[in-house]
Amino acid sequence: MRILKLFLFCMLMVTLAFLPGQSFAKETLVYATTEKVIDLDPANAYDFHTWEIFYNIYQGLLRYPPGKTDLVPGLAKSYDISSDGKEYTFKLRKGLKFTDGTPFDASAVKWSIDRVMALKGDPSWLVTDFVDHVDVVDTYAVKFVLKNPVSYFPSLVASCPYYPVNPNIYPKDKIIRDPSELKGGKLVGLGPYKVVSFKRDQEIVMEVNPNFYGEKPKNDRVVIRYFADATTMRLSLEKGEVDFVFKTLNPSDISDLEKSAKVQVIKAQGPYIRYICFLCDSPPFKDKVLRQAVAAAINRPPLLEKVFLGQNAPLYSMVPMGMWSHIDAFKTAFGDGNIAKSKKLLASRGYTESKKFEFALWYTPSHYGDTEVDVAAVLKNQLEATGVMKVDVKSAEWATYRDNWKNKVMPAYLLGWYPDYIDPDNYTAAFAGTAGSRGIGINFSDPAWDKMFVQGQTETDMKKRTSLYEKIQQMWTDEVPTTTIFQGTLYLFAQKNIRGILLSPTLQFNYGPIHKVK
Amino acid sequence: MRNLTRYIITRVLLTIPMVLILLSILFVVLRLTPGDPVSAMLGGHAPERVIEQKKEELGLNRPMVIQYLDYLWQVCRLDLGESMVFKQRVTTAIAEKLPATIELTFFGLIITLFLGVFMGAYAADRRRQIQDSAIRLYGIVVYCIPVYWMGLMLQLTFGIWLDILPIAGRTGPRVFASTFEKTGFYILDTILVRDFSALGDVMIHLILPSFTLGLVLSGIFVRLTRANMLDVLRADYIIAAEARGIRHRKIVYKHALKNAFIPILTMMGLQVALLMAGAVLTETTFSWPGMGRLLLERIYLRDYPTIQGTIIVFALIVASVSLIVDIIYAIVDPRIRY
Amino acid sequence: MRFSPANAMARGLSPLMRMGKKYGLEWWILLIGAVIILAIIIMAIFPGAFAPFNPHDQNTGPQLLPPGGSHLMGTDNLHRDVWSRIVYGSQTIMRIAILAAILSSFSGISLGLISGFSGGILDRILSLIMDSVYVFPGLILAIAFAAMFGPGVFNITLAVAVIYIPTYFRLVRGQTLSIKEELYVEAARSIGASNFTILWKYIFPNVIATTVVVFTLNVADAIMIEAALTYLGLGLPPSIVDWGMDLAMGKKFLPSGQWWLITFPGAMISILALGFTMLGEGLAEILNPRLLER
Repeated sequence: MRILKLFLFCMLMVTLAFLPGQSFAKETLVYATTEKVIDLDPANAYDFHTWEIFYNIYQGLLRYPPGKTDLVPGLAKSYDISSDGKEYTFKLRKGLKFTDGTPFDASAVKWSIDRVMALKGDPSWLVTDFVDHVDVVDTYAVKFVLKNPVSYFPSLVASCPYYPVNPNIYPKDKIIRDPSELKGGKLVGLGPYKVVSFKRDQEIVMEVNPNFYGEKPKNDRVVIRYFADATTMRLSLEKGEVDFVFKTLNPSDISDLEKSAKVQVIKAQGPYIRYICFLCDSPPFKDKVLRQAVAAAINRPPLLEKVFLGQNAPLYSMVPMGMWSHIDAFKTAFGDGNIAKSKKLLASRGYTESKKFEFALWYTPSHYGDTEVDVAAVLKNQLEATGVMKVDVKSAEWATYRDNWKNKVMPAYLLGWYPDYIDPDNYTAAFAGTAGSRGIGINFSDPAWDKMFVQGQTETDMKKRTSLYEKIQQMWTDEVPTTTIFQGTLYLFAQKNIRGILLSPTLQFNYGPIHKVK
Repeated sequence: MRNLTRYIITRVLLTIPMVLILLSILFVVLRLTPGDPVSAMLGGHAPERVIEQKKEELGLNRPMVIQYLDYLWQVCRLDLGESMVFKQRVTTAIAEKLPATIELTFFGLIITLFLGVFMGAYAADRRRQIQDSAIRLYGIVVYCIPVYWMGLMLQLTFGIWLDILPIAGRTGPRVFASTFEKTGFYILDTILVRDFSALGDVMIHLILPSFTLGLVLSGIFVRLTRANMLDVLRADYIIAAEARGIRHRKIVYKHALKNAFIPILTMMGLQVALLMAGAVLTETTFSWPGMGRLLLERIYLRDYPTIQGTIIVFALIVASVSLIVDIIYAIVDPRIRY
Repeated sequence: MRFSPANAMARGLSPLMRMGKKYGLEWWILLIGAVIILAIIIMAIFPGAFAPFNPHDQNTGPQLLPPGGSHLMGTDNLHRDVWSRIVYGSQTIMRIAILAAILSSFSGISLGLISGFSGGILDRILSLIMDSVYVFPGLILAIAFAAMFGPGVFNITLAVAVIYIPTYFRLVRGQTLSIKEELYVEAARSIGASNFTILWKYIFPNVIATTVVVFTLNVADAIMIEAALTYLGLGLPPSIVDWGMDLAMGKKFLPSGQWWLITFPGAMISILALGFTMLGEGLAEILNPRLLER
């Protein structure tokens, strides 16, 4: 009985004593997200949220300015390409120092790249597949020698595995998971911010790095709060407990918040694309006419309307909108929900309403969020609306999905793609080039296509590359190794008094320009 | 007393085959499950040879029997190994999450006990009257409500419509756990550092999840208490007390309840499994960062060492609680001989 | 007395009332339970009579329509009719729960009989395994099994069935042990009855009576476990209509105020589980009043 009283008393105390949390003297921005940080080491981090943090605490030799998609110099002032396209020499900015006084020079760059190559972390193939070795030319010049000419090498250099780290605080032979494992215990790079505290799955506190060479951030401190679910995150934005939320809200939350007068919405085209893959070397989809029939029957706008309450954008090519060379190839070739064409194509293979074309469409239930089951259900309905197809929807957890494509059990399956580097090559060769295609279970292989991909990888003339990728996108609608569905739209919601948020399709989200107004 | 010591030792030894059997079942189940941790993390982007090389490093290409014996040997040395997905010791992961689950189940249990015991005692006192029927019906109905649905309905009512309670997480976004966290039991931690506004925040976050768990489990305790109280109330000494003119209220809620409490306590030991299962579901509904969410997340990623470690901890909790309850029972009731 | 529907009903109901007087609350509990189960079974067998739409039809009306009018329980984000999905969903959950209970009772009873009757090392090993599984949280095991078997109706059924085998095993084994020592079993043995005959003719009939109650309660539990698994997303493809899956899908609409998407599927799971629990409790009290009080 006494315990009950005590308990009730405590509960009463709570209701009386509850005060809003701490307040800060400095200008602090509270950023809420449902993402997770895996390892705070550029040699092993391979997810966009950790990369986003790195954009703000480190700097690449080249970088994307806030909200832009074209590269500008970062820690390097300029670079030269050798005539065979295999050697890139970067001239470094002079006089930069890591916080502990270690000078930033060519040997620091070489040390960092060697470390990534030696540790063999998850994203290390982005270095090892392209770079043969790195040479120190002089104190402020460093040369990357490539295995083959790669025309998009500058965009690779802008990615996180290429970031120079402080050789004196990072262990050479060990991937670090936590800043506490660094010498000195503080995560400080050459970027605009430094990490002052890190609590996994709870919060990261970042403050302005006083030694940053570039433009000073317009705020003093950014706190990232990690939420376990989107619903709470949304409610806490509405209550004014956080300044902005980014990735990932439920469609219903986004739709409510867009209508809300209390918050502002910042939208941008994302680099994220969704599509259906076909197993191209086994029946039934060995036959490209059947692949075309599926591509013709899907109807993108109503799908987005139903599953995402109208969010995201219909996509008609593997190269996403906003990237150079994008054309609406599928729209011109098939349109949306072209049932007549789909029926005609199926009829040419002997399928009729009494003898339906049956196949299994696979999806994975949690990897792409819980909307995925709805995507599958709507696709099934749209394909069956032709009256000539019967779709059996099946699912497998992500860990199983890869085994499934290796074992060729999925004739058609839903996948999504975040780019490793910002170039049309990463959206095309990865799916229809013989090697990339096998790695993702499509098993599409055509020597003529492979030749074009190599040409795209080595050609440095922008005009020629553009027309080459346009041609590949045209050919895509004939062979249909995949058929695109939609491109993700980035939604960021902020309090009304927040300014300076710039989103970009590169997902490089810089905290520096963000500030509050009265 | 020597008997008791021997009994305790036997019981402790008996938990070893239990944990071993569960572990073996699980080990086989997990390895037969399609998919593996490396594919779960890298599938799609990294080239095939990177994945194969990683598997080799983690020892996933060895025969299952070798992997099994290796793991058993490791567990014998009280080492749960390292996660195959994140660079993290399994013990660290569990140490981060276990306090959250214990805090939730502890308060859930308190609520269950108070609701269950008092309603059960009252029903027994009013046997065959309308109050008795109503409470028994409550017991049955509440037992049949899935705990996650109860959680959703409470969230809807108190979190969305009335908008008075937070519906998920352990703290609000402006309360920073890093400023007080020591043991991982937030209530204790906030008291230790005397941060009372944080304590308040932590407590209001506990209300809905612990009530959800407590309400659903209270049904069983209503029934247990009622049955035990009925027995006690029929006993001679109660009738004698009644005859001596002691106040009825005092007889029922003091003397009788005290005597009925010991069997209730032992029954509680058997309900720990139910409590744990309830906690797993409550955690997913309320985004409570505990063992249940850890287990589910890692099952999707096929993180074998973490899954196995979590199961061992669950098994140990169940075993040790029932052991403790038995010992208390033996000490409290000297008639029990082993 | 002239015939009238009211009279006929009164006459029909009078035995029920008499039983009600005799057994009190237990009888009403049993009756309500039976009525709930019957109603949902009828719904599951003749869904067409109750559901106005096909549960997969994505064109039944506006999106996320609140309950009322032609949509008794509103519509979901894919324009599907919630009530029709509830009606068809009853088939899935009933099939899985009952089939799982049958599977686990069958294997649990047979193993329990064999183990209790034969004794020895087999009995010890089986008992140890069964006890280990019995004390462990069933849901957590079911999660592991469901993840292993992968999605599908039969796989879920298996995952649910496995965790209830020890319940039957322990019950049947205990009874077998005591019945084995009874005089009539000894007598049968002495006249040369085979082991199988003894098990089948003398022990099994005595054991089966108590398992009926356990079976009913087991179905109630299986319903909740099945719904829990599909709620956690470890379950079924979208071509199957299921209450737990609908609940999980509705969950993300909670803060937007679409309450009908979570209220109705969850209420149905509770009501169905309640039906079986009430039937089981009622049966238990009437067959053996002391069974549940112990």
